[in-house]
Amino acid sequence: MTRVRNIVIKCVPVSKGVSEGEALVTNQPMCLYDSLDPKSGRIVNRRHELYGECVSGKIFFFPYGIGSSTSAATILEASRCKKAPSAIVNLETEPIIAVGALLAERLYGKIIPIVHRPEINPAEVIRHHRVRVDADMGLIEVLELDRDAAHVKANNA
Amino acid sequence: MLDGEYGEGYEIAMSVLVKLGDIYGADRMLKVENVHIDGAAYGWINDSGLELIRKLASSGARFQVPATLNPSSIDFDMWQELKIPPQVARKQLRLTKALKKMGGTPTWTCAPYQYGVDLRFGQKVAWGESNAVGFANTVVGARTERLGDLADVCAAVAGEYPNFGLYLDENRRGQVLFEPNRLDLDAFDSTDYGVLGFIVGSISKARVPVVSGMPGKVTIDQLKSFCAATAVGGSVALCHLCGITPEAKTVAEAFHGSKPEEKITFEAAELEQARQKLSTANDEPPEVICIGCPHCSVQELVKVARLVKGRRVEDSVRFLVFTSRAAKTLAEEMGAVETIESFGGRVIADTCWNFVPSKARTLLTDSVKMAWTSLSKFAKVALSNIETCVDVAVGAKPRR
Repeated sequence: MTRVRNIVIKCVPVSKGVSEGEALVTNQPMCLYDSLDPKSGRIVNRRHELYGECVSGKIFFFPYGIGSSTSAATILEASRCKKAPSAIVNLETEPIIAVGALLAERLYGKIIPIVHRPEINPAEVIRHHRVRVDADMGLIEVLELDRDAAHVKANNA
Repeated sequence: MLDGEYGEGYEIAMSVLVKLGDIYGADRMLKVENVHIDGAAYGWINDSGLELIRKLASSGARFQVPATLNPSSIDFDMWQELKIPPQVARKQLRLTKALKKMGGTPTWTCAPYQYGVDLRFGQKVAWGESNAVGFANTVVGARTERLGDLADVCAAVAGEYPNFGLYLDENRRGQVLFEPNRLDLDAFDSTDYGVLGFIVGSISKARVPVVSGMPGKVTIDQLKSFCAATAVGGSVALCHLCGITPEAKTVAEAFHGSKPEEKITFEAAELEQARQKLSTANDEPPEVICIGCPHCSVQELVKVARLVKGRRVEDSVRFLVFTSRAAKTLAEEMGAVETIESFGGRVIADTCWNFVPSKARTLLTDSVKMAWTSLSKFAKVALSNIETCVDVAVGAKPRR
C-alpha cells in the first residue's frame, strides 16, 4: 500500500489514549444499547445502515448518540468482552458514552480514546482508511488509503 | 471522598463523576435530592455492571439520597412462567441484593414519577432512563441531565452530580419551535402523542424543542408516551410544552426571549409519514401484542380491562401488559388484573418487555418507544392505539 496523504483533523479530547485502526463510518446517529451487541461487537439493529458490521478494533465514527441511557453499560460490557471499538470519534460525544469509557478504564484498565467536536466532519475523509486517534492531543490522523477503496474511488470519479 | 477515606466505593463513584464533570466543563459538583437508577437490570448492565455494583455495596458504600430503581430483568413472582433463564434470574437476584443493601427503593419501574418518588419544579435530581428524564424535565420542570447507566449508581453513592448540561439555565433555552397546524390535539390518544413526540425528537436531535398549542386536557399518561418518544426519536431530555412545562408558560419564555433557530410546522400528513416509518408490518397478524412501554399506570390497566372485558384473545396471540408492582397491586384490588387475565392476557410487573424471551417474529404495540426500539428483537413491528391492539387480539384484521 502506498501512503497517499496524511491529513490531520483537530478535535476536542473526551477521554485519553492513542489508537490506530480501520475506520468504520456512519452518518446515522447511533443508540449503542439497541444497536451494539457487546458480546460480539456486532451491530444488530436492522434499521441501522451498519447492520451486521463489527465495531471491535475499529475507529468508530458516528455523529452522535441517541436513545437509551443504557449505552454506557454497553460500552463497559464490550470492554470487558474485549469487543469494544479501538477508538470513538463523534461530532458530539454524549456524557453517556464518556461514562462508559471512564468506567472501562477504572474497572478493566481498558482505554478507549474518544474525541469529538472535530474542526470538519471527518466522515468522508476517514471512510475506508486506516486512522490514528490521539485523544491526548485531540487529533485524528488519516494514515493510508485502502487500495481497493482507492480503486473504487478512482472508477467513480 | 475522592481520596478514599470513605472507602473504595465512594472513591470510584466520585472519581468517575469528577472526571466526567471535567470533560463537560462543570464548575463544581452539585448536591442532588434523589436519583433514578436506570441500570437496575442485569440484562442491561451485564456482568461488568453487576461486578461494579457488588463492589460498591461490599465496600460499604450506601446511597446518600433516595434512589428509585428501573425495571429488573425478571418479574420477581412470574419469572419461571416467563421462561427467564435461571442463570439470568440468579444474577438479577444478586444485583437486587446489592442495590437493596445500598438502600435502593425497589420500585422496578421506568415510570417512577407515577409510583415511587415525588418531584417538584426546580428540584435538582440525577436520573437515568430516557423517558423518565424527559418527564422530570418536561412535565415537572425538575432539573436532571440524562445520566448513563452506572453513572446513576455513582450519583446515588455520591449524592452529587457534576453541574453541567440541563442543570444550567442557558442549556434549558428552547432552540426549535414546533407549531402543530390544523391538528385536533384534543382528540389525540397516547399513541398519537407518541408519534408527535417521535417527530419532535427526530427533528430536534440534541436541541431543546418547544411545542406550541398544547391542549390543557392532555393526561399524564399521554405526556409519558410523548416524552418516551422524543427520547428515542432524538436524544431529547427536555421539551418545552407551552402551557404545561412550568418554565415555559409562553413561547417567549421557552426561548428565554431569543428567536427560534428553526420553526417547524406540521400537519396530519407528517404524522402519517412518521406512523408509516414506525410500522414495518401493518397487515401481518402479530404473534405478540405488548402494552405498557413505558409501564402502564393504574388508569391504563383499568382502561385495558374495560376494553377486554367479556372478550377472549385468539389462541395464536400472546397478549402482554407491562406495569410496576405498585400499579399492579392497586389494579388487582380493583379487579382489573383478573379481567385482563380472564381475557387471556398476562399482567407482568417489575420488568421490561426486553427481557421476556420470545421466538415471535411479529409484534403489535401501542408504544412508539417499543415500536422503534424492538427491531433487534422482532423482525416485524406494527403500531396501533390500545383499542386497535385489543381488537386485533380478538381476531380483527390489522388495520392498514
